[in-house]
Amino acid sequence: MNGRERVIAMLQGQPPDHLPVMPITMMFASDLIGARYLDYATDFRVLAEAQMRVAEGFQFDYVSVISDPGCEAADLGASIKFFPDQPPAIDEENALLADKSKLSALEIPDPAGGGRMANRVKGARLLKEQSHGEKIVEGWIEGPCAEAADLRGINALMMDFFDDPEFIAGLFTFVLEMEVAFAKAQVDAGAELIGIGDAAASLVGPKIYQEFVWPFEKKMVDRVHALGASVRLHICGNTRQILDGIGRLGCDIVDLDWPAPVAEARAAMGPGQALLGNLDPVRDLRNGTPESVYAAAAECHRQAGPRFIVGAGCEVVRDTPPANLAALVRYGMEHQA
Amino acid sequence: MSIFDELQQAIIDGKAPVAKEVTERALGEGVRPAELFPNAIVPAMNEVGRRMRDCEFFIPEVLIAARAARAATDILRPLLVGDEEVRSAGTVVCGTVKGDLHDIGKNIVAMMLESAGFQIVDLGVDVPPEKVVAAVREHGANVVAMSALLTTTMVNMKAVIDALAAAGLRDQVKVMVGGAPVTESWAQSIGADGYGKDASAAVETARSLVAAA
Ligand code: B12
Repeated sequence: MNGRERVIAMLQGQPPDHLPVMPITMMFASDLIGARYLDYATDFRVLAEAQMRVAEGFQFDYVSVISDPGCEAADLGASIKFFPDQPPAIDEENALLADKSKLSALEIPDPAGGGRMANRVKGARLLKEQSHGEKIVEGWIEGPCAEAADLRGINALMMDFFDDPEFIAGLFTFVLEMEVAFAKAQVDAGAELIGIGDAAASLVGPKIYQEFVWPFEKKMVDRVHALGASVRLHICGNTRQILDGIGRLGCDIVDLDWPAPVAEARAAMGPGQALLGNLDPVRDLRNGTPESVYAAAAECHRQAGPRFIVGAGCEVVRDTPPANLAALVRYGMEHQA
Repeated sequence: MSIFDELQQAIIDGKAPVAKEVTERALGEGVRPAELFPNAIVPAMNEVGRRMRDCEFFIPEVLIAARAARAATDILRPLLVGDEEVRSAGTVVCGTVKGDLHDIGKNIVAMMLESAGFQIVDLGVDVPPEKVVAAVREHGANVVAMSALLTTTMVNMKAVIDALAAAGLRDQVKVMVGGAPVTESWAQSIGADGYGKDASAAVETARSLVAAA
């Protein structure tokens, strides 16, 4: 089995030859080829080279176009701060929707329009070519809560849930349509799996998650499925309070960050849900040893049971010792579901 | 319900207009501005901190409660000037360190400190050490409170401490640090005077640092 086949087998509920291995790498991958992160995030050729290098060198089963949450916001005209060797960041003080009334004038950017979204789409196409069907190609979009936070400013958005539910509904609806269009362009370019990153969803608590966020995440998952792609959902941070909701979204892969124990996710989501994760990227993976990393992966596997994909809780941090990452991969390669 | 309870409840419920109205009414009834802090605002924010720790409150609830507390303190602050009996709990210069744009936690900490009676000089995010030094000088701050959420920017807390030392201010000001990746032992290792795991702890730490000074 090659990597692509291995991931597909897991997603279809068939036994792969060994556990799929899918840790998120961005800055780590960029450093590996000696690129500046600015170039990784803004030039799809650099990203593709780094992704191919990291996936082949460490024997991951996938490659991904994920770089930073700012692609969509940038194309909408938001103010973004760029740094030479750090991820671009949204300029929250000058948030695009600091004035809520601007929402009605926003138009969905053309994902082929030559902006940052188009760059990502090209990345998906190039990775599809370069991976020759050996690795699964993952596209990436932002979830409703994360993208809304990027556009509105996260501090303001958090209060909007109480102040202006109607605005939230309008904003989430806009985000949904934009992200689905972005996903479609990436799927058309060759992405078979779409990652949805909804970081801010871990901050809102179970009530607001259920009432406002979940319904839009659900629509997003369903719409991406309708495009013919599988879905990996990643919510950064502590999701313990919303695990059962996440389990009802119908995601092909739930990618857990480290604050939520795998066993809790398994109990909340049932035996069928494929779970990915969730070593603490800093404490376990960067600061550990190959032996402790291997043991931490084994513990995640034990808690997850057979429907399990090897990975860290979040992005592999840039100064992670390569031997530690190799140990994580080795765990996957040496174990069957 | 006493007027103190009313204000406390309005803050916990995150109702800024109510908090404002009750504060004004209290003043109209002759309550001294300084009395509202220990009897309503501080206990309200303590309760908010407790609910956050116990996962009853999440970020949205905390932010609207903080906003309601601010509605009250905005009215009270100017009135406290000249009140001989109240001394400010101290002046805190706060900010998120250079390279780091995360400010939700820092904002909550600042608001809790403010409702506990501290004067806050908030320098925002991505704050270079020089700016902290300048603010400490200008405001004669007692405490510097730095936040970092990235393992890559935590090191910049040390840079702040070094800059304060280089400016000859290190003995005049206490430094406390926090943020998700920051730990007590890390705080010690960079020579900080205090650490707080969450916003309520930040208030306790600030109080004890000022008391010890
Ligand atoms: C919101 C968020 C963002 C927003 C920030 C918006 C904003 N205005 O703050 C945006 C989208 C901009 C963002 C960007 C990035 N983020 Co971010 N983000 C988060 C997220 C989802 C929540 C953080 C948060 O606000 N927590 C809630 C607050 C209340 O908690 P807190 O800050 O810890 O504060 C509490 C205590 O620590 C304490 N405290 C805080 N400060 C202080 C100070 C003192 C003095 C004291 C005593 C106490 C104290 O009291 C607070 C209240 O109890 C976390 C993941 C998560 N869910 O935790 C990732 C996370 C922090 N981000 C992360 C990363 C990697 C990034 C990016 C590099 C992502 C990227 N690849 O693009 C960029 C970096 C941008 C930059 N240069 O800073 C990582 C950090 C990993 C690491 N340890 O290094 C996290 C953990 C996600 C992850 N799992 O990877 N992010």
